Amino acid sequence: MAAETLRVVCYLNQFFGQLGGEDKAGVGPQVVDGAIGAARAVQQALGDAGTVVATVICGDNYAAEQAERATTELVALVAAARPDLLVAGPAFLAGRYGVACGALCAAAQAELKIPTVTGMHAENPGVELYRRQVYVVQTGAEATRMLPEVQRLVALGLKLARGEAIGAPAAHGYFARGVTRNIVAGANAADRAVAMLLDKLAGRAFTTEVPRPAFPPVAAPRLVKTLAGATIALVTDGGLVPRGNPDGIEALNATRYGAYSIEGKSSLDAAQYDNPHRGYDTTWVKQDPHRLVPVDVARELEQSGAIGKLHETIYSTVGVATTLAQSARMGREIAEKLRAAGVDAVILTST
Amino acid sequence: MRLELRWSDVDEVTAAPATRLVGTRLEVDLAELRELLSADSRLARIRLELARPGERCRIGRVFDVIAPRAKAEGGEDFPGVLGKVARAGHGRTSALDGVAVVATDQQTDNVGTLAVIDMAGPNAALSAFGRTHNLVIAAWPSPSTERSDYLAAVRLAALKTAVHLARTAREADPDRVDVFALSPSPRVPPELAHLPRVAYVFQIHSHQRPTGLDEGILYGDPVRRMLPTIVHPNEVLDGAVLRGFMGRSVTTWAIQNHPMIRALYAQHARTLWFAGVVVTVAQATEPERVRSAFLTAGLVAHTLGADGAVLTKIGGGAPHVDMAQAAAQCEALGVKTTAVVEDMSTDGSAEGMLLFDFPGVDALVNVGSSQEPITLPAMDRVIGADDLASKLLGETRATYGGLCGAIEQVGATRVMAEVR
Repeated sequence: MAAETLRVVCYLNQFFGQLGGEDKAGVGPQVVDGAIGAARAVQQALGDAGTVVATVICGDNYAAEQAERATTELVALVAAARPDLLVAGPAFLAGRYGVACGALCAAAQAELKIPTVTGMHAENPGVELYRRQVYVVQTGAEATRMLPEVQRLVALGLKLARGEAIGAPAAHGYFARGVTRNIVAGANAADRAVAMLLDKLAGRAFTTEVPRPAFPPVAAPRLVKTLAGATIALVTDGGLVPRGNPDGIEALNATRYGAYSIEGKSSLDAAQYDNPHRGYDTTWVKQDPHRLVPVDVARELEQSGAIGKLHETIYSTVGVATTLAQSARMGREIAEKLRAAGVDAVILTST
Repeated sequence: MRLELRWSDVDEVTAAPATRLVGTRLEVDLAELRELLSADSRLARIRLELARPGERCRIGRVFDVIAPRAKAEGGEDFPGVLGKVARAGHGRTSALDGVAVVATDQQTDNVGTLAVIDMAGPNAALSAFGRTHNLVIAAWPSPSTERSDYLAAVRLAALKTAVHLARTAREADPDRVDVFALSPSPRVPPELAHLPRVAYVFQIHSHQRPTGLDEGILYGDPVRRMLPTIVHPNEVLDGAVLRGFMGRSVTTWAIQNHPMIRALYAQHARTLWFAGVVVTVAQATEPERVRSAFLTAGLVAHTLGADGAVLTKIGGGAPHVDMAQAAAQCEALGVKTTAVVEDMSTDGSAEGMLLFDFPGVDALVNVGSSQEPITLPAMDRVIGADDLASKLLGETRATYGGLCGAIEQVGATRVMAEVR
């Protein structure tokens, strides 16, 4: 496809689409041929590189209050115009508008398989909601400098439409999508590390190459009973499984966990267990599974009355190179099952 | 301590009736070399092949890569493993530039240890070993040889070969001489006393898997439960440290040409004072990790008197956290740190890049994601992996971690992960 025939559809809210102000915020999706309102700036920025074939407009309240329906209707209008690229907004600091832009871009990418780009201010809630899926170009808070802002959206959009490689967020002015990509740096890692250390020692500014992780803190809940009245479960990410690994728990990057009964067992027989974990030396756990899952001691505590009851199911997975998303899902599922079973507290053993 | 690395440039390697260096052409008597290596009864069959840069050839089943080095004066070759135990890092060592010895592992398909080298195409440029003339050793175990013995035998064969080749340069006038000399650490000349003192914390092994008795790593010792200790950087450059058998994104080659030690030498007495090297291992249990971390920081801060430290790791996730714990202990003692990490994410998300968040450990350099896919284009021949040849000949998918030399955790490489 030649660049000059590139078909572009723009998405605007009622204000930028010149339908009216807050009084028109309830209007539903509609389409206008060619460029209207702020879409004219998109056409200007495109120059000869493409044509705005249609402008799709929707009121902010309609988009916010019936979000799913609005997105479905808008995707259908966009699809009818057969675009090569969707440019949504820019929405600046307008929250409802920003969220609608992000939702439409994400849906159009997924359903119509076309590239999309939008633009927002850093504090627009649409940024946090959609930057992982959609290229969101950073703009100012207000539409005082419409053309230069739109030019940056269009520049990135054209690269996407042409299938060109997209550089770093800073190079194109978009919000980091939170994905990593290998590139070749100008110097080797050792030289970069020594240079960074010299900067740090001298008190000069330096830029770390790895962002600090934003692990959400999870506060430990208080046990509201005495231990003597509580049911305690044993859970591990150290990889203990019955021999034969019946659930096929992966040796690393696990997506599965197992629930194994210890009913009637006062201890674990090493011959009946195995360990696929590839992140640590499992020799000692295979020799004696209690080093990881202390069923023996827990039974003694149960017998002596120090704890009310030992839960009769142990949960186990392999915690090595496991993604945060999978860890969170498995943890949530295990916690739900434990709560449904009336478990009061968990001893979680890791390696 | 003063070490001279006496480099001879090589731009051609050929099979020949005698092993010798003729100008920049290295001639190798492959039959003689094979006979030398066959003396090891742990090996049943040995095949030697040559691969040159630009040739459409893929080397499969790569286990480790060794730089050709031979002591010309003072010390032993690979002491404790090949030569007898003696201090390394002084005297003269002959080195061949442009040649590498590639050891292959014919026994396992474990991607944690095995990788490929492309001699042509886009991936050749990502690895040092796509630009060297490579002598590739394929050796098979004799029937009764166990896994660890086999790997020890393969590595020994590669070390013998590295010495055998570099000995051809002992009588030659070197093309270049690198001199590595540090005055004893406490005696900083007054005019350089203002320079920040910088130490290097080098994690040389990980105990995530059982370590073989014969898995010589530091002067032939398998460093089981080793506590942090101080070595002279020259010892690392001169064969005292070899990579263990679990070689994820680390080669012995990179250790012999250690990029961090070279970078610190390059700045020594100019912008910093190179205070020394602390070698550590990634431990297996929490008490060992904690003990190792504060002992490391103590050596860095109190014994070496360092103002700053750079740290690198080996292996995977547990060593990554081990290193960070040592860095955090350094920071707690007022020593500023920079650490070299891999992108640990397994799904390409930035939130999974790092497995720790310790106060002060805020200056991180990364060597890229070993999990990111990479395409291996079709080649004309495959060596070192007969059994995988049909799979490795055509275009195939791999990862950066599966391309030997694309990512070196000690910092020799330029690949890095960028957050997009």
